[in-house]
Amino acid sequence: MNAIDPTLTGKNAVKLISGNHACALGAIAAGCRFFAGYPITPSSEIAERLARSLPEVDGVFVQMEDEIASIAAVIGASMGGVKAMTATSGPGFSLKQENIGYAAGAEIPCVIVNVMRGGPSTGMPTRPSQADIMQARWGSHGDYPIIVLTPASVSEIYSETIRAFDLAEQCRTPVVLLYDQVIAQLSETVALDGAGHASATRKWASGPRADYKPYDGGSDAIPAMAKPGDGYRTHTTGLTHGEDGFPTQNPEAVTRNLSRLFSKLERHRDLIDSSEALHCDDADVVIVAIGISARAATRAVEQCRAQGARVGLFRPITFWPFPEMQLRQATANARAVLVPEMNTGQLRLVVERVLAGMPVEGIHLFSGEAIAPSDIAARATALARGA
Amino acid sequence: MNTRIELRLGGTGGQGLILSAKILADALAAGGQRVAQSQTYEPTSRGGYCNADLVISDTEVDFPITTALDHLVLLDRLAIKPSWPLLKPGALVIADTRLCPELPVGDYRRYHLPLSRTALQLGSERVTNIVALGALVALSGICDRKRIEQAVRAETPRGFLDLNMDALKAGYSVAAAPVAAVAS
Amino acid sequence: MYIETAADFDVTDYLRKEMMPHFLCPGCGHGIALRALLWAIHDLGLDRDKLAVVSGIGCAGRLSAYIDANTFHVTHGRPLAYATGLALARPDLHVVVITGDGDCLAIGGNHLIHACRRNLKLTCLMLNNEVYGMTGGQVSPTTSETRLTTTTPLGNQEPHFDACALATAAGAGFVGREVTHHVPKLKELIKAGLEHPGFAFVEVLSDCTEIFGRKNDMGSSSDMMMRQKSEIRPSAYLDTVDTPFRSNALPTGVLTRNDRPEYGAAYRQAASARAGTSS
Repeated sequence: MNAIDPTLTGKNAVKLISGNHACALGAIAAGCRFFAGYPITPSSEIAERLARSLPEVDGVFVQMEDEIASIAAVIGASMGGVKAMTATSGPGFSLKQENIGYAAGAEIPCVIVNVMRGGPSTGMPTRPSQADIMQARWGSHGDYPIIVLTPASVSEIYSETIRAFDLAEQCRTPVVLLYDQVIAQLSETVALDGAGHASATRKWASGPRADYKPYDGGSDAIPAMAKPGDGYRTHTTGLTHGEDGFPTQNPEAVTRNLSRLFSKLERHRDLIDSSEALHCDDADVVIVAIGISARAATRAVEQCRAQGARVGLFRPITFWPFPEMQLRQATANARAVLVPEMNTGQLRLVVERVLAGMPVEGIHLFSGEAIAPSDIAARATALARGA
Repeated sequence: MNTRIELRLGGTGGQGLILSAKILADALAAGGQRVAQSQTYEPTSRGGYCNADLVISDTEVDFPITTALDHLVLLDRLAIKPSWPLLKPGALVIADTRLCPELPVGDYRRYHLPLSRTALQLGSERVTNIVALGALVALSGICDRKRIEQAVRAETPRGFLDLNMDALKAGYSVAAAPVAAVAS
Repeated sequence: MYIETAADFDVTDYLRKEMMPHFLCPGCGHGIALRALLWAIHDLGLDRDKLAVVSGIGCAGRLSAYIDANTFHVTHGRPLAYATGLALARPDLHVVVITGDGDCLAIGGNHLIHACRRNLKLTCLMLNNEVYGMTGGQVSPTTSETRLTTTTPLGNQEPHFDACALATAAGAGFVGREVTHHVPKLKELIKAGLEHPGFAFVEVLSDCTEIFGRKNDMGSSSDMMMRQKSEIRPSAYLDTVDTPFRSNALPTGVLTRNDRPEYGAAYRQAASARAGTSS
């Protein structure tokens, strides 16, 4: 079987594929040409797919000696100008954090897939969870911004993998693709259309070497990167650095660079933000959910509506930076918000902060099972009726 | 709400349940159905409870996990406990006579079929999953016979093609002469 | 015969002058190692636009910033892993790693043994000063037995690694060692490492005068260098590797050399062979 089956990505081709398979296909479509990984359930299928398909497109796959080496090799490849990705799950995501911080600080584009399984520690390798929401945002030490995308279906894993690469390249940042074990290993009939995708490219340094500053954000706060071999001979470091790229602890220079780093994502929210509101306009109760919980909520909304309860669903697709304005709009007419999630309250915490004053209730399941639509529907209906 | 059919193949890891589910899903997808195929398994590669589920719809599947089973195939007694509470009234239950000799009572269309014994007679217990697939398709009518044959053929390595096609056919045969399960 | 002068080599041509003065302590051997590396690069006429230097954390890790090339100062212990990604993605670049004994053998030890095994073309220069100098003088995997450090106030009780024996045992195709006292020899050794088609490991016996030397009453920098010189055995490495710990008579020079297939080329060849059969 050919790893890059054109029938999978052709227009109107409906095929049955898994979420992890869709991720690998999306990566290839986005122009990913380097993958380094380490085996871990339930994400290994991504590595196995790319081990076959990358050599077919003159790309490189390498299985490294550990999780840390994998993210390090990915950042190294991206420093060389090649679009690069790694994939892992909970324990491996923890191990990669220091180097994710390096990529954020040194502004090296890369994509990190984290398939969420039950935790903490080794946890439940084959069971789903949604408990890495906060880690994806705050996992590495120090202050840094990062983009985190949370697809909810196999076809969305495909499109969001492509978007993850585009955002990483455009904004010079690591992007985390965060989805749960259920949709990772779920197979769905999908019609993928990525054949004509014009993938985004990094802003590369051009012009005379003497005028070039590696961390000058220019007009859009995104510095142009020097490609090794193009003659700029720059320095990249995890130390705080000035516009020239060299280490500095000068308070003004440190403040200036870190401020730009944060403004970089804030200024491109139009590019980054993505969310979906379903029946929110007249909703008394808005459910906020991601991943498989959002799929359950979709069914729950239909069940509630069938019984006359005005319930809607707000689904962040870009999770970080969190779509705060969009959530406020979606809940403008709501009396209460319900947050079903497979953890003890991470998304609820965010929603409570964004919607200060709004009654927010959670359904928190951390047994390794997905939340049932009927459980969400029952609670949402009760809330809609004022219970 | 849209039509929604849910089914489960339940047993233990290594029985090929996920493969059978994927073959069936491919066959249904080829017929224009929308399918979501999921599974639950233990961290071990072999042994331990395992199930492979399908949710079938004529439009996009909203929630892709089974919540109310229309059809259940049991290839190990381990699968009874987690699956029985999900059965819809009147659901089709097919159980293997050897591996799942006793079934709880209930208002279901229950069939006790010699699936694994048939596979053994064909020469390999490993094709029990394909025999079961044949029986399931025959008794449930969820899929056209030609399409399931095509899907089995597409998923089978050449060296095993005859064996798998025989197993599928045998599944149809055991389903044609069913022995209704005796409630215990 | 080595000639101690190099009329056509001016080290300042290869340094980022805006980074001067450098931050190394007086008497530190790392500057000599850096000079030898740049001299080797000069001798080979390597294109610095295509030269990438990846370094880790510690005193040795800081050296990359002084080199006028594509330089990457990465996380502690990981320069070999970053360099692996860079070299695999960009086979047109010449990738050199500068690391220290703590960076390479302790926190990054796993990456070293697998880099040796994998045999991707990289030149790894490990500057061994027996101590964590930047953090103030803690014991490292190469600290000699009985030596005092800030974390071995009773004297070091752990045996210390022979990094070259370790690299050889892990399968490195090129392994060599030299002291900073022998600058032209060191340059020649690094040159041979840079020219090796696969993974090359070069250990430089450097010295930390300010912290390690002072703590152990080892005298001046020149005293430390002379002691190192008296301990080496400049000969081919003929002994069998029966212990990964350092002996007193340290062999120097090229200690191991074999021509195993280089990983990157082997991977690309396998990929194109597959493409040929599947089309």
